[in-house]
Formats: sequence, C-alpha cells, structure tokens
Amino acid sequence: MRLQSITLTNFRQFAGEQTFDLHTDAIKPVCLIFGANGAGKTTLLNAFTWALYGTMSEDVEEQERMVTDSVWRALPTGDSVEVAVELTFDHEGHNYRARRRARLIKDSDEQSAPSADIELWQTKPDGSSESDNAPQERIFSILPKGLSRFFFFNGERIEKLVRKGSYTEVQQDIKALLGLEHVERAIDHLPRVDRKLTADLRKHGGEKANQIQTAIDELDERQSSEREELKVLEGDLATLTEERDSVLELLRQNASVAPIQRERDRTATDLTDARARHQVAIRERATLVATSGFIAFTQKLAQNTAEMAADLYQRGALPAPLKREFVEQLLADGTCICGNALTEHTEARHQVEDWRQRAGLQEVESAWQQLRGQIDPLLGARQQLRDALEAAVRRVTAERDQVNRLEEHMSELDGQLKEIRLEGVQELETKRKDLDNRISRKQERIGAIRAGLDEIRKQIEKKTAERSRAEVTDELAAKARERSDLVQSVKRALEEILAIRSANMRDKLDRKLKDTFGKIVIKPYEPRLSEDFELALYQDIDGFEMSVAKSTGENQILSLSFVAAVSQLARELRTERRAEGDAPDDAGTYPIVMDAAFGSLDTNYQREVSRALAQMAPQLVVLVSKSQGLGQVVEELGPYVSHLGVIVTHTTGSADTSDDIELNGAAHPYIRAHADSNHAELKVIK
Amino acid sequence: MSTAKRTEQDVLQSLDEKERTLLKRVLEIERARLHISAADLTDDLLAEVKKVLP
Repeated sequence: MRLQSITLTNFRQFAGEQTFDLHTDAIKPVCLIFGANGAGKTTLLNAFTWALYGTMSEDVEEQERMVTDSVWRALPTGDSVEVAVELTFDHEGHNYRARRRARLIKDSDEQSAPSADIELWQTKPDGSSESDNAPQERIFSILPKGLSRFFFFNGERIEKLVRKGSYTEVQQDIKALLGLEHVERAIDHLPRVDRKLTADLRKHGGEKANQIQTAIDELDERQSSEREELKVLEGDLATLTEERDSVLELLRQNASVAPIQRERDRTATDLTDARARHQVAIRERATLVATSGFIAFTQKLAQNTAEMAADLYQRGALPAPLKREFVEQLLADGTCICGNALTEHTEARHQVEDWRQRAGLQEVESAWQQLRGQIDPLLGARQQLRDALEAAVRRVTAERDQVNRLEEHMSELDGQLKEIRLEGVQELETKRKDLDNRISRKQERIGAIRAGLDEIRKQIEKKTAERSRAEVTDELAAKARERSDLVQSVKRALEEILAIRSANMRDKLDRKLKDTFGKIVIKPYEPRLSEDFELALYQDIDGFEMSVAKSTGENQILSLSFVAAVSQLARELRTERRAEGDAPDDAGTYPIVMDAAFGSLDTNYQREVSRALAQMAPQLVVLVSKSQGLGQVVEELGPYVSHLGVIVTHTTGSADTSDDIELNGAAHPYIRAHADSNHAELKVIK
Repeated sequence: MSTAKRTEQDVLQSLDEKERTLLKRVLEIERARLHISAADLTDDLLAEVKKVLP
C-alpha cells in the first residue's frame, strides 16, 4: 500500500476541500508536514484511519463534531453539509480510491455523530474505475484494522505497543500482516473439500473402503472439533495469563511499596501524637497566662507598695507608737495610765478618745508587715513567670516544627504511593492462586488436546494408507480416493509451511528489532522478542543477563524499532519466493504515518530516530511541530523529502500570535491571527 | 513432520507436480478471498482439485 493523496472535506478543523499530494518514491520516501500545537496534526493522522476504518483514536475529543465548527455555524438550519475524507493509494499493482463520507442535516447547533459510508473504487490502467461491493472487507484485506496501529500512530503514545497486555493482540495482528492467515484458513477449509470428495468413496467404494473412510471422517471431525477447542483454550490461556501477570504486578508493587506504606503508617501515628502535643503545649501556655499572667504587670505595683511602706516607716507611722486596742482598753476600764478617771464627757476622756482615732490597728500593722514581706517574692515570681512563658513558647514552637516536618514527610510518602493502586495483599494472593489453578487446568487440557491431535493425525495417516491399499473397483470411487490423497498431502504440506513461516517470522523479527534498536540506542541493551511476542530489554552485567526497566524514551525507541522491524519484514516476507508464487513488486509495502514522531525524545535521540525513520518504511508521512521538527530532524530527513507542507493555524484571536516557519530558505505562514474563523489550512510548500 | 531444518522450499520440493500446483492454487484462492470473512470456498477449492486431477 502506497499513499498517493488525501483530500479532506469539512473534516474537523479543515474547512472546505483540501488536498495534499503524498506520492513518494524510493529515493525520497518522506512527506514532512509541520503544524503548531492544536493546528490539526492529530486530526490529519486520524483522517487516514477514519477514511480506512471509520474510527479515530481515543485522544480525539468530541468525536461527534466532525464538521468544521465555522462551517456548521454558518449552515442554515435545515440545510445539509458533507464531511468526507478521500484517500488514493496503490496496492499490489492496483490503484484504489477510498472515500468515507457523511451528509449531515442541521437541526440544531449541536452536531450529532454522523453515519458515514465507505466507498472503494479500483482504477484500471485505462482510467476507468470499478466500484468494490465489499469495500470495508477489501480495505481490511489490504491492511487489517488491528495492524493500523503499526502504521498510523502517535509517537507520544507508541510505547503502549510494548506494554504488557498488548502481546496477544500484536501476535494476531502480525500473523495477518506477514501472510500466515490465509495459510491457516486453507488448512481449515481443506477438510471440508475432502469430505465432499470422499462422499463418492463411501458410496461406491465397497464395504472395506467405506468402513475406512467412515473412520477417517470421524477422525477428521474429532480433529476439527479439538482444533476449535484448542483455539478457544489458547485464547483463554492468554487472557488468564495476562490477568495473572497484572495481579503479579500489583503484588510486586505491593511488596515494593510495603516499606513506604509502613513508614507512612508510622508517620501518620507520629503526626497525630505531635499534633496532640502541640495542642497540649498551646493549652499549657494559655493556662500559664490565665493563672499567672497578671504577675507580669505587678512590677510597678510592688515598687509603689515598697515605697509607701518605706514612707510610713520613715514617718514613724509604722510601727505605730500607740495601739488602738490599748486605748480601747483604757476607755473600757475608765482609767488612764496617768491615774485620771476617764469619765464620760470629761476633758480627759476626750483626749484619750482622740488617741483612739490616731492609734494604729494591730491588724493593719501586721498586714503592712506581711505585705512588705511579699514584695520581694513577687518580684521573683515575675522572673519565674518569664522563664515559664519562655519555656512554654519554646515547646509550642518545637511541637509546631515537629508537626511541620511530619506533614512534609507524609506528603512525600503520599506522593510515592499515589501512582500505585493497592488492593489487599490477601485478596490479591487469593486471586493469584485461583488464576494459577485455572491456568494450570487450561495448560493440562491444552497438553491433552495436543497429544490427542497428534494421535489423531497418526491414525488418519494410518487409515489413509489402509485406504490406499483397499481394493476399490468402482472408477468414481477410485478417482475420489486419488483426489482425497492429493488434498491430504497438500494439507500436510500447508501445516508444515505454517510452522516454518511462524518460526521464521519470529526469528527474523527478533533479529531486525535488535538491528534497528542497536543503531539508535547507545546503551549496551539488547531487545528480545519472546515466543509469546513479549518485548523486553536485557543487559549483560558481569556475565549475567539482567532485564532492564525501560524508561518512556526507551519504550518509544523500542516500539519504533519494532514498527520498523515489522515494516521491513512485511516487505521481505511478502516478496521472497514462496508457495504462492511470485509476489507483486510492492507486496508487503505499507506507509508509516506518524504524529509527534519524536515524542519526548532527547535531541541526540531525535537525530538517530530521524535517520532510522528515513530508512524505516517505503513511505513515511511525518507530522511535527516547529519545535520538534526543525534542526536535527529537518537536517536528517531533508534529503529524503518528496513533499513538504504546513498546516497553517488560522485563529480569530486578537492577540498578535502570528508566526512564520522558515523552510527551504523562505518564510511561510505558521500561525495567522485575526482570522474570520478558527480553521486549519493544509498548505503545500513543495 | 520436522520443521527445524526444512525450509518452505524443501517442503515444496518434496511435493509432486500435482500437489505443488494444487497447493499454489489453494493459497491463491484463499488470499484473494481473505477479505470476505464469510466466504465458503469449499466449492472453489473442490473445483481446483478436479482441475488438477480431472
């Protein structure tokens, strides 16, 4: 399959009808198309798969909005508009034109998912064309949908190809691509042919031949049904194995994160304790302030009191010269200390009564003495309060710091755990054991069926030999036997060819993978394709082979190498001398259309990948942004480019975001602001 | 059936002319109709057998 052109009609942001020529040759197999982020590179990639299969990749948002927004908005309600993608290509000596299109009638501003029809025409050398009645099936036979993943892909997501869980699917896809599927189908169909042929033998071959043929027929039937069961069992086994692998992966993750989880649990407990201690410290500080805080304000009061006491002593008021209790006693006794009677209303009594007012109270004097005695301790208490407050503040700060530290540590541990989906280890272990048992039972059954099939095959051979020796007088029956022998012989040869092709295919793919990967990656890693098509990287460490944990970049390169190997092998296997006879010149030729081909690769890998890309496929359509495609990439791919284009972004944005791209020594529009509508323009540069 | 050493060419060489012819035709027919998953090729293949062994 070699692409010749693509024409988009109102397809997503590509308004109106826009065509890009994709013809390339062996010397210049590359079409290079630039586009800014959001310009429509991914849309263009998806236009190919939509045209061929009617599907777009999952990363295309709002897939029901197929018609260009501005075209849809301008369309009067009730009117219709066409959305279409047309691809022209040639395949194994025939030219094809495939068109998928839909006509949408506008009944609201919202677009509904269109129902598109596919049409396919085969163009004859005289220019006339013939419509294919099974267009989708024909396209599937040219490039099966499952295989499109190898030929139309987004470089940023290509590493999914080598992820666990993809192998079984990949294995089936490759089988179809590399010419094994029709051999398998022939092996399935020939027994039916044989059954029809041997009907005459059963009917006219005589009793002995009839018996033998009936036995062969029964064996054939058992063989067919056991083969069917084997296929189902192998499919089940693959599913169960994948499920078990994902459970094991979870268990491994569990084991690897268990110490982190334990530390997180410990940290969570410590954090709870630290927060509690912090609160206690805050409460203690508050209690201290509430109960003793006033002491902080007593300095002046104590000083004033001391001064007042000193003043009283100085003035002789303290200690008091005469106690009031003594004067009260004299007045009660009615006699002064001088002997005079203190009779009521006498001068002497008045004088002594005056002394009662002037005399000091014993209690007051004692109180003053006590007060004076407390002034010094009060000053000491202030110091103690200050010390206690400082200690409380230090403790609050220390506990706060501890809480902060633990919170930071918790966040760190949470970050490490965030990406990992954890299930109960116990539950996972139970699931693993159950899967192991089921896998083991399936394997036993597969083993038994294989042994049974081997036995059936021997019995069929034995019976066929018996049949050859059996006397058959009827001419029709003899002919039927001869034809049946021929069919059996061809079927055996096809089974052997299938086994040879399968083994060759894996070995060659493995060698090509190693070759391509080794040219790109500088590290001493060796990729390997297992019998189950599992891709893995190994390295030699002191004579020990160890598997390598692949980075995203390495996964991308491994996937690209795998795609390159598949592409090269498809060409080689389809053109080499085979049982089918000589193949057309372009047999096994498929284009590779890549969006964001360089994904997240470093610049040094960009150069190597560009170099490998140019030799990777007989035809290569590379969609890149300016930042990814200029420099190393243009330098490496430049000499191989047949067609150069830009998807110009037209935006209604008022900010002046217009930008140009320098290609072939001239500036070309890359982004154009102040446009009437948001749309993409596929501009041909070369 | 030993597949370790034998190649596809070896398998073909071990067939006689009629077997080789039928094998080639069977594969051609299967490949040509590979895109029709519902196709029943029994009669087409039977016709080929009868052509090779009239």
